[in-house]
Order: sequence, then C-alpha cells, then structure tokens
Amino acid sequence: MADTHTTDAPHQEAPLVTGNLGIREITQLVSYHTEKRPPSTWYMAFAVSSTLLAVLLVMIAYLFWNGVGVWGNNNPVGWGWPIVNFVFWVGIGHAGTLISAILFLFRQRWRTAINRSAEAMTLFAVICALLFPTIHVGRVWVIYWTLPLPNQMEMWPQFKSPLLWDVFAVSVYFTVSLIFWYVGLIPDLGTLRDRARSAFRRRIMAFFALGWTGANRHWRNYEKTYLLLAALATPLVLSVHSVVSFDFAVSIIPGWHTTIFPPYFVAGAIFSGFAMVMTLLIIARKVYGIRNIITMDHLEKMAIIILVTGTMVGFAYITEFFIAWYSQVEYEQYAFLNRATGPYAWAYWIMMSCNLLFPQFFWIKRLRRSIPFLFITSIIVNIGMWFERFVITVISLHRDFLPSSWDYFNPTIVDILTLIGSFGLFLTLFLIFLRFLPMVAMAEVKMVLPEADPHHYEKH
Amino acid sequence: MIALPVVKIPAAAKTRAWRSLPHLNQEEDYAAVNQEEFLPGAGDGPGSESRRHFLQLLGASMALAGLSACRRPVERIMPFADQPEERIPGVPLYYATAMPLRGSVQPVLVKSHDGRPTKVEPNPKHPTAAPGTSVFAQASILSLYDPDRSRYIRRGGSRASWDDFLALAQRLGRGNRRVAVLAGETTSPTILALRDQLVASFPNASWVTYRPEGDNNEALGLQTAFGQRLRAQYHFDEAEVIVSLDADFLGAASRNATHAAQSFAKGRRLSSPGSTMSRLYVVESAYTTTGSMADHRHRMAAADIGTFANSIAAELGIIAPEFAVPDAAAQAIADDLQRAGTRGVILAGEHQPVEVHALCAAINSTLNGVGTTVSLLALGDTPDTASLSDLIEDMHAGEVDVLLMLGVNPVYDAPPALNFTQALSRVGDSIHVGMHEDETAQKATWHIPVAHYLEAWGDGRAFDGTQSVLQPLIAPLYAEAKSHIEVLGALVDSTARSGYDLVRATWQETLGTPFETRWRKVVHDGFLSDTGYSAVTPPVEAVRAANAGYGELDVVFRLDPTLLDGRFANNAWCQELPDPVTKIVWDNVAVMSPQTAAALQVTAKYKKGRYEVDLITLSAGGQSVELPIWIMPGHADRSISVSLGYGRTLVSHRAHRKTPIWDTGDKTDIYGQGALCTGVGQNVSVLRDERATAIRSNVAVTPTGRKYRIVTTQDHGVLDVTARPLVRIATLDEYRDNPAFVLDHEAPTPGQDQKTRFEDYPTLWEDQHPERSAAIRDSSYYRNQWGMTIDLNACNGCNACIVACQAENNVQVVGKTEVGNGRELHWLRLDRYFISHGDENLTEAPQMVLQPMPCQHCENAPCESVCPVAATVHSPDGTNQMIYNRCIGTRYCANNCPYKVRRYNFFNWSKHIPPTVQMAQNPNVSVRFRGVMEKCSFCIQRIRGAQKQAKLEDRLLARDEVSTACQDACAADAIVFGDLNDAQSQVSLERRNARSYTMLAELNIRPRVSYLARVRNPNSELEPA
Repeated sequence: MADTHTTDAPHQEAPLVTGNLGIREITQLVSYHTEKRPPSTWYMAFAVSSTLLAVLLVMIAYLFWNGVGVWGNNNPVGWGWPIVNFVFWVGIGHAGTLISAILFLFRQRWRTAINRSAEAMTLFAVICALLFPTIHVGRVWVIYWTLPLPNQMEMWPQFKSPLLWDVFAVSVYFTVSLIFWYVGLIPDLGTLRDRARSAFRRRIMAFFALGWTGANRHWRNYEKTYLLLAALATPLVLSVHSVVSFDFAVSIIPGWHTTIFPPYFVAGAIFSGFAMVMTLLIIARKVYGIRNIITMDHLEKMAIIILVTGTMVGFAYITEFFIAWYSQVEYEQYAFLNRATGPYAWAYWIMMSCNLLFPQFFWIKRLRRSIPFLFITSIIVNIGMWFERFVITVISLHRDFLPSSWDYFNPTIVDILTLIGSFGLFLTLFLIFLRFLPMVAMAEVKMVLPEADPHHYEKH
Repeated sequence: MIALPVVKIPAAAKTRAWRSLPHLNQEEDYAAVNQEEFLPGAGDGPGSESRRHFLQLLGASMALAGLSACRRPVERIMPFADQPEERIPGVPLYYATAMPLRGSVQPVLVKSHDGRPTKVEPNPKHPTAAPGTSVFAQASILSLYDPDRSRYIRRGGSRASWDDFLALAQRLGRGNRRVAVLAGETTSPTILALRDQLVASFPNASWVTYRPEGDNNEALGLQTAFGQRLRAQYHFDEAEVIVSLDADFLGAASRNATHAAQSFAKGRRLSSPGSTMSRLYVVESAYTTTGSMADHRHRMAAADIGTFANSIAAELGIIAPEFAVPDAAAQAIADDLQRAGTRGVILAGEHQPVEVHALCAAINSTLNGVGTTVSLLALGDTPDTASLSDLIEDMHAGEVDVLLMLGVNPVYDAPPALNFTQALSRVGDSIHVGMHEDETAQKATWHIPVAHYLEAWGDGRAFDGTQSVLQPLIAPLYAEAKSHIEVLGALVDSTARSGYDLVRATWQETLGTPFETRWRKVVHDGFLSDTGYSAVTPPVEAVRAANAGYGELDVVFRLDPTLLDGRFANNAWCQELPDPVTKIVWDNVAVMSPQTAAALQVTAKYKKGRYEVDLITLSAGGQSVELPIWIMPGHADRSISVSLGYGRTLVSHRAHRKTPIWDTGDKTDIYGQGALCTGVGQNVSVLRDERATAIRSNVAVTPTGRKYRIVTTQDHGVLDVTARPLVRIATLDEYRDNPAFVLDHEAPTPGQDQKTRFEDYPTLWEDQHPERSAAIRDSSYYRNQWGMTIDLNACNGCNACIVACQAENNVQVVGKTEVGNGRELHWLRLDRYFISHGDENLTEAPQMVLQPMPCQHCENAPCESVCPVAATVHSPDGTNQMIYNRCIGTRYCANNCPYKVRRYNFFNWSKHIPPTVQMAQNPNVSVRFRGVMEKCSFCIQRIRGAQKQAKLEDRLLARDEVSTACQDACAADAIVFGDLNDAQSQVSLERRNARSYTMLAELNIRPRVSYLARVRNPNSELEPA
C-alpha cells in the first residue's frame, strides 16, 4: 500500500494516531463528547434529520392508509424504489462488518479508528434496509407470514423463494452485527461509567458495561469473544449481499438472471459502504476535532478500497454486456442494449460515470488525500450505487420478453420523500449514537499506540 | 319543562326527635327528601307529572332519538318457507332471453344467481347457432346495474308518477292530436303492433326510426339494387375469396358480428396442411380488426373506395369499362373474384354510400353467390316512410303535440343542422324514455326511466329473423322503470297494461293454440324456430357507378367498437375496454396516418409511458370539436377517423366523493365523480351534415398547439418475428411446404436435436412433480390436466373475451389515470403487434396481429417458486392458482412472470363499488382486496362447479364439459379449453395441430396455453413468393 510515511522511512510503520496523543488524551478526547452538551452543529443536524424522519413516518402512514398505489410501481415494474432503496441500504450496511470483522482478522490495525462508527452506521443502514421490504408488501399487516411461525394450519413459508432467504440473511446479519458492536463497546462503556459524574448516568453505563472492571480475565474473555464473533461475522459479510442478489439472479427476467450477481453485489456493497463511512467520518472528525485519531491515512486507505471495489463493479458491468452478446439470446441482448440506449439511458450513464469513472481519480495520490475531493467522490459513489440498483431493478423490469407489456416507471412524490425520509431515520440514529456513545473505539485505539507495544515497533 | 312537585312540609309535631341541625331547622332540601319512606316520586304511578314520569319521557325520547338516527335496515336471512321450484340457493339458473341491439336481437342465456343476473352466455340452441356473444351483450350486465340509471318519472324536472303519465295519455285520447314517435331501430312484433295501433288511434301520428349513426346504407343499397327491402347475411365459411370495401364486418359494432366471426373463422381454420382457407382482401381507410385478418390490405381513403368498387365492377363487366382505373389491386381482386365465382363475396362498410353497397350487391349477384356466400333475406315489413328531417320541420312549426322518444338521444346525436333542441322546445309534451337522465331527458318535458332488457318482457327478431321472446330475470331495480312496450301501450289506450300482457297478446296471434304450452316453450327456449326471414334470389334491377372521391380531407364517423353510439358510455367495462386497434381507453381521438399527421404538423409523442398528443380543432358546418390526434400506421392518407359515442353529459344523483387529503379514495374511485361518462371524450356527431352522412369531406383541421394526455394499455411496436417469435406466421404455401414451420422459431435445445420441443426437456422438479404423487394420481378430482389453445387464424380481436372475463371474474375497473399508471386489471389482454414483411416502409402498411394473452399456466411456473408465502401454487390438475387469502403482495411473482399477465391491486378497488354494481359481481369468485395479486385462473370456479356436479351425479366429467368464460364468449371459437389427458378432447386435437406452439418455450416453463400460428393466404399475383 502506498503511503507517505513508508516512503519516508520504509523500515517503520507509520503511527496510526498522530499529534502525540497519549492514553489519557484519547480517553478525554472521545469520552468528552458523550458527556458535554453537544455542539450547536449537532442540534442543527438533529433538527434536520428528525424532520426528515417525521417525513418518513408520514409517508409510511400515508402508504399504509391507501396502499402501494401511492408509489410509482406499475404492472411490468412490480418493484420500484422501495426495493432499490432496500438493496442500497443493505449495501451501505456492509462496510461496518467488513471493517470490524474481516480487517480485524487480517490484522489491519488502522481499522480501530473507524470501526466503531462504521459498525454503528451498518446497524442503522440495515434498519433502514429492513424497513423497505417490510413496507413494500401490499398487506403489511400479515408480513409475519414470511416468518416460519408454527400455526394451526401447518402453513409454512415457501422456502424456495429468495425473498425468504433475504428475511433470514438480513435478520441474521443484523443480529450478529448488533452483538459484535455491543461486545466491542463493553470496555468503553466501562470507561464511561467510571468517568460518570451523576449517579444516574453511572447506573446506566454500569448496566450496559456488564460489570467490566478491566481485569486481566475480562480482557482475555473479551478478546476471545471478539475474535470468535469476527470469525462468525466474516462469512455473513459475503453471504448477505449474495443472498440479496439472489432475489434477482434466481429469477428468469433478462438482466436479472445473471450468475455474476453475488460477487458483483458484494463488491458493490463494500464500495458503497466505504463511501458512506467516508462521508460521515469526514464530517464527524472535523466537527468533533478527532483528526488525530481518524487521520488522513485512514481516509486514504478507504479511498483505495473504493478504487478497488469500484473497478470490480465496473468490470462486472462490462462482463454483463459481454455475456449478453455472447449468449446470442435476443431477450438478453435487448435487455442490456436497452439499459445503455433505452428510455432510462440517463440512469445507466449516471451509474457508469459515478461508479466506474469517478473512483478512477483515486489513482492520483494528491486527489485521494484531498478532503474536498474525497467528500464529493464519496457522495457521488453513493448516488451511483443507488442508480446501479435502480438500473438493475427498474430497467430490467420495464421491458422484458413481451413488447406488449412494456411500460415506463415514473416515481411519485411519495417515492421520493420516502427515500429522503429514510436518510432522516439513518442520520437521526447516527446522531443519537454520536451523542451518547464513544464514536471511536477508545480501548482499541489505545492498543495501537506506541506505548501499547512493548516492542516499540521493533520487528521480529 | 315539567314542574317537579315539591313535597309540602307537614305541620310541626309536639314531640320531636331530630337527627341533625338541618333536620331540626327544617331546611328545605332536607325536608324535601326526608319525609317519605322512598325518595320523592319513587312511588308515584306512571301517569302523573312526576320525576319518574319525567325520567320515563326522557328515557323514551332518548331511545327514540337514538332509533331515528340509527337507520340500519333490518336484514333477515331466512330460508324459503316454500322453496321455489328448481331453485337451490347458491346454484345459478340460466334463462333464455335476447338482447336488442341495432334493430335485431342477439339470443343469449343469462345466468341468475339467487335472482340476480350476473353473466351473459350464448344460447347454443338458437338457429343462428353462433357460439359466442358480442362485446355489448357481455357488457349489458353492467348496464343493468349502472348506478347512474334514472330512477324516477319526471315532469319538468320534478318528480311525477306513472298515473300522471296515464293522465296525459288520457287527455290525448280526446281530440285529434298530432303524436310523433322517435324510436330506435326495432323488430319487436309487439312494438310494431303497438305502432299500428297508435296510427289507428291517432291518424296524424308519425313514426320515425332514428339511427344515431345515420342512414342504413346497406339496406338502402340492397333496395337500390334489387328493388325490395332485403337484408344480407354473409356466410364467409362458404367463401373462397372475400373482399371487404371498408367493411369492418368482424368488428364488435357490426350488426351481425357473431355470425360473421363464426363463419369467417370456419373458413380459416386449418386443421391440417391439406385444408383450404379463404382469402380476405380488405380495402379500408381506418385500420380495423377485420383489416388485421386480411391477407391483402390496402389502405385507401373512405371516399376513394367508391372508385375502387367501380373499378372492380367494371373489370367484372357489371358497369361500363371506362370506370376501370388502372389499379393492379383492383384488377387482381376482380380476377380472383371471377375465379372464385359463387365462392366469391364482396361487401361494403356501413359508412360507405348507398351506391357502393348497390354495386357490391350487384357483384355478388353476378357471381351467383346469392344463396351460397350471401343470403338475401326478405324483410317483408313496411318501410319507414317518415323522415327525421320532416318530423323536425313539423316540430319547428309547432305542429307536434306529443313527441315520444323511445330509447333515443337526439339532443346528443342528431345532426346540429336540424336544430333538434330548438325544435324540441316547440313540442307540447316531449316524452323521453331512457336509461339515464341524459342530454335529451334534460330538455324533454317528460322523462320515464326505461327498464333494462333483463327487467322487462319484450320480443324481437334475430338478425336472420328468428323471433324471440325476451323474458325478464329480475324485477326492475327502480320501481318506476317501464319498458318501451308499456309506455307505448299506455299512450295507445291510456291504460296501464303490463308488458307481460302486451307481449302475450301479440304472441297469442303468432302461436295460436294450445297457446300456453307453445308460449312456455318459446320462453324456455328463447326463440321460436322456423320464423326466420325467407331467403330470396331477386334479379338485379339497377346498377350504377358510385361517385368518385370527395374533397381534400375526409372525416369518417364510426360507431365506437367499445361504446357503440354512446349507449354504453356509462358502462365502466366498456370505457376501460381498450379500443381493439389503438388500445386507447377512456377517450376518443382523431385517427390519422403518419403522413397526414406530418402534413398537418401534429405529433403524438410517447414519453415516459404516456402519450402526449396534439389537440386539433375539426370544424364543419359552423360547429367545431377539439380532439386529440392519434397516429395509426396503415391508416389511409387524407382521411381522419373519429368515433361516435363520447362527450356525454348525464345527470347523476350520486354525490361526488370527497375524501381528506390523506385518503386517495376520491382520486381512485371511478364512481366517485358523478356519472362516469360525463366529460370523457368529445361528441363528434355535431360535425355531421344534416343527413348524418358518415363521410364528410372538407372538414377544416387546425392544430391548437395544445397537448393532451392519451392513455393506452399498450405501446406502439413493430415486432421482429424472427428475433422474438411470439407470434408465428407463414403463408399458406410456406405452411404446406413445411407444416412444422412453427418449430423453426424455437431456440435450440441444449444437447438435443434441433427439432425437439422443450416439452421433452427435463425439469428441475421432475422427481417431485405433483402428478406423480399417489394422492393425486388416484383422485378422480384430479384426473384432468387442463390446457388451452388459441387459434390466431380464427381470433379477430373483437374484445368479447376481455369483457366476458371481466364479468365472470369480478375484474375491477381502475379509471383512466390508473390505466395510465400501468395498473389495469384485465386478466386477459389482446396484445397487438405490427409485423413488417421484408423491407417495406414500416409505417406504410404493416400487418397487425392481435394475440389474446391469458395466464399461460406454466407447468414450471416461475411465479410459484419466488412467492415467499406460497400464495401462488400449482393445482394437481395443472392450473396455476392464486390464493388471495394468503397473498401478502410482494409482487415478486409478477416480476418473474415472463408474460406479465399478473395483475396487482395497487389500491382497494372494491371498497367503493356502488351497491348496484356490487350486485353484478359473480358470487363464486372472491372480490379481491387491496394489496393482493390476481390473474387468470382458467375459470377455476367453473371447473370445480362442473366437477361437483359430476360428483353429485356420480359420473366422470364428460369430454369438453367445462368451458371458460372467454371461450364461451368467443364467436370465432378461437379459444379452446379442455383436458389434455383426454387424447380426443378438442384441446388435445388442437394441440396436435402442426401449427401449435407455445410461447417462450425455451425458458422451459412449459406453458399450458398453446397458440396455433397464423397462416396467411396471399394472392401470388400481388405478392410473389
């Protein structure tokens, strides 16, 4: 990995925490934000996001009262924005566990600065994702029929349906991510408990800290558990989005019926997840003044991952075209030609430029260390990834086998406000997290300080 | 208020025991309550003014007040004390009757569920023996339950009674008053008898037959040619060469559509490569469904067709040779007709002028086709002498005292030059008898609601003349509704005679004795045999050439294929029924060719799923109409086609629905905005001349520069039949050379021989296929495997199947906006494709094919495997079923359906259906709730009903015993349904036809619906192979 400091001193690994922060300073820097009144920026952001959340709730109430017809879905396009949003949010929810679990197993120590907020973001994104398949069904009051609940009719869900696999995959992913995140929080909750001034706060923190004392035995158990959970979560990172992609790949619709989908969806998910982490952290590190913990190097590493996964996704796009041509099947060929040249060509080219073209600028070191450029690109990537799901879902459906059933999909204002509202839900949850919980895993960051290393970076 | 008595304090006693200071001091309140054993008033009797009494009154008034607000009708479900004979609750009964339409009656059987007519079926025993029914017969059920039907007799806009009308008739009886009747075409013997009685009692009476579409040029043409009143009935099955000069004889609006469709299909059905088929030439201005069946179609402005007819007649030596224009098509057609001889037939369209009809009649006569391909039926009745314009002149002059308008709406559709509305105001008593408070009802002094044909006794003659008695299936929904016969009867002798008595009186003469037995048989059968018009072979009397072309730009007025002349305008099924050719719903348009549109500099742009089209103003004779344009490939240049029947204004007494902002109910409820036809489309009849000629030349067209949104159920599209072999098509010669030509289009099967059908390819579910399970193999219930075939050579796209399906399966109507959003619910649709042969200009004359598209009931149904809750499953007898109760509405099944035949309830369409429309629903089919998927079920309720009946009778299902609603409605017999396990069933035979193919077989989904490929029979002179 290219890195300034390695170039300067190849025998030395760059310090992960800059500004000569000590253990005490880190504790102070991170805990402080959960203890004082939040900055006015936080209040403004919370006002905006909770308003958007209210919009979401109003839209959902409107939907439940009237029916799915308030959206733009129509006869060939049975799945519109709600499913696009679902796949979009699930994708975003990939970065957290990837950073926590896979990078942990690969001993990528730079992850410590960002894993806490990335995991929190994952949970909130998965909550947003779970919302959409729930509300998109026509009769939401019987949604529980998708769960294998014993009943007097002995009527079970239909296990061949990829939608059912989704139910299991996403809920397992959510549960494991939640436990993983919580386990990682325990030492920090202990720190917050010990710092608490009021008895009330101390009691709450004490409850959630599960009696953490920092004893050697606790650390041993903690690290074992964390390792085991990381191992458990790793396959989930790959499985969730693979299963989500089965919703499409298992069907017979041209443009959906594609075996490349599982790896391509996973790559896309990591791509969009990292972009979202980047967007949020660039703001958070500035507002909360933690630039020494979440350093430029961290951002650069994320930019490189975005570059790699973006290129993978772009490769998949081109592969699909090749396979369509190679198949010599009219329906397949038309489906892809229609993406690039049909009535939704604009959406396709937005996707192509955002996902394939823009990340390529990260080959240039100056750009991937430029905060404004990183910020803009991270947003562009997420726009592109939303459009990728739109392209797959809507463009494939609107023109399939029989030209007589072809139609066009127009979103309604409810579609648009629901998507915007889901950002409200996401940001509100994230802001609450920033307010009450340490946004950086203090205990883990301390482990990567020079003082935590008895060998002082000496290589053996 | 009732004053409450205060108990008086008794006089002080000597010795006092007291309980408290208030007691001792005799404080008033204390005293008042303390002197008696019980509280004051508690012991009073109910009669006096007491507290008790007050409370009684209070309680009673509360109770009564509550009762008056609570108006829930008392509903009792009770069994019949004496069960009517043959009536089993829940088991429908069928009654024979007939539907009057355009001067004849269409024989039908009507299904009655516990006294409620719900479905129209053909009457198989009727001599015309047409297997199907027309669109309008199917839709007539909903007209019966139209919530905007007029309910009350009105005079001068306010309520009146039947007795008031009888009083009017009585007043008329004295004195020599001028009475005129304006009635639609009718062949009812009772009405004609009453007509004679009317003329007898009012010597000055005049009877005018009113045709909203203008003169019956066909009848006039026959009269010109043969000098007598005739009617032509064509037998296309006898013909080898059929030439249609702008005649849409297969279209739904055609007078004899079912017979035409049946006989035409018979002549086209190719059971084997050795079979023969007829050849159809269509020369027409607008693209019609008949044109879509043509082997050779020539687009030609309606006004030029006279010249073309001249040319054919001249080639055949009927008129002078100088009329022959050098036209290769006319030459070839004439030669072909000559070759076919008695097997050749030519016919002209309704809107063609009299001379063209006369020429056609002469050609048929010259070819000696009369008696084989065409029967000339002598009508024998007296012609109508009175003309509309004379009557209106008299009305203007104030000479008409009473005008009775029977089932006509001249204020809406009389030519404006006649100034009917003004004339009407000069009539003493104008009486409108109609279904709605329509345009005429609003101007007439009297309005009498008319009983629907399913509510009243009547009679009439079928197209071939066979007499029918129309029996009611239900008492009039609105007590004041009267039939035409009853109103006429009252006018004739000012007494209220029931329609039943009047009809019986007429039939007493017809049937003779023993009357009662014969009458019962006629009512039961629905017709009296051997009463058809007699066929004659008269010589041609006069023939002359038709006039040559008209002007720069002609406008052709047509009866609408879905609304007819507007009488079905308030029928939601008809409004939402796509025009068979343009696929437009809820609008009428000015149809023109791409070339004409370019010349007028107007466009119809398809943008984001909707058409934004230019509005043009058509003006003629001082009237102008603003219409959206429509560009139709294959339409004639210099010609614009418009549809009558739109732009109606009905008075509706139902309130407009207004829901709160969070409720979309007012936007999605088609019945929520008053009468549903009000404001739909434009009334183009005002553009016609005073004779209501169907072709009007020199109409000024000016683009308005404004746009209008048109909603279609389907986009335009040219189908590349090689790349997408959805419709397979070959010429007769190609078919004979290669009977298995349909297989050339199949995708190669991996690892198999090229010609192997996908049906032989293994499936994923081979081991667990339901048929293999013992429980199913041995159940008599599941011994059948249902399948369907659709013959594209027979189907002419008339739309009857769509309406039949809608009536049978409670398919809801969603309105223009929601169709525009792609949410129509039709279970069966007719896919329209344009097909181009070779590299000719695509928009010049593409061939059009209509393909019915129900659920294909795939054996490996892709919808079933993706449903997370198993709401769509396969029945052991091979149908793909939708379990509405179980459906949670993920729409995944619809996405995964390669045919996109699944329909989703985006809103709760059934929530606001008016009570009367609820009565039209089939009780054997669930009305679907919001959020569930629905689709064609192969009429599973009919299958199970037949199986139940067979089980009760302890027998197996007979061969071809079950039929679907679409199949029953199909006059062309294009749809065949039945058991594939029975090798001799009709469907199995059809499936073995070499033309049989399944659509998208390469997906290995094994559809149970097969199509029989279209075969064209082109003339090698016009189209060298």
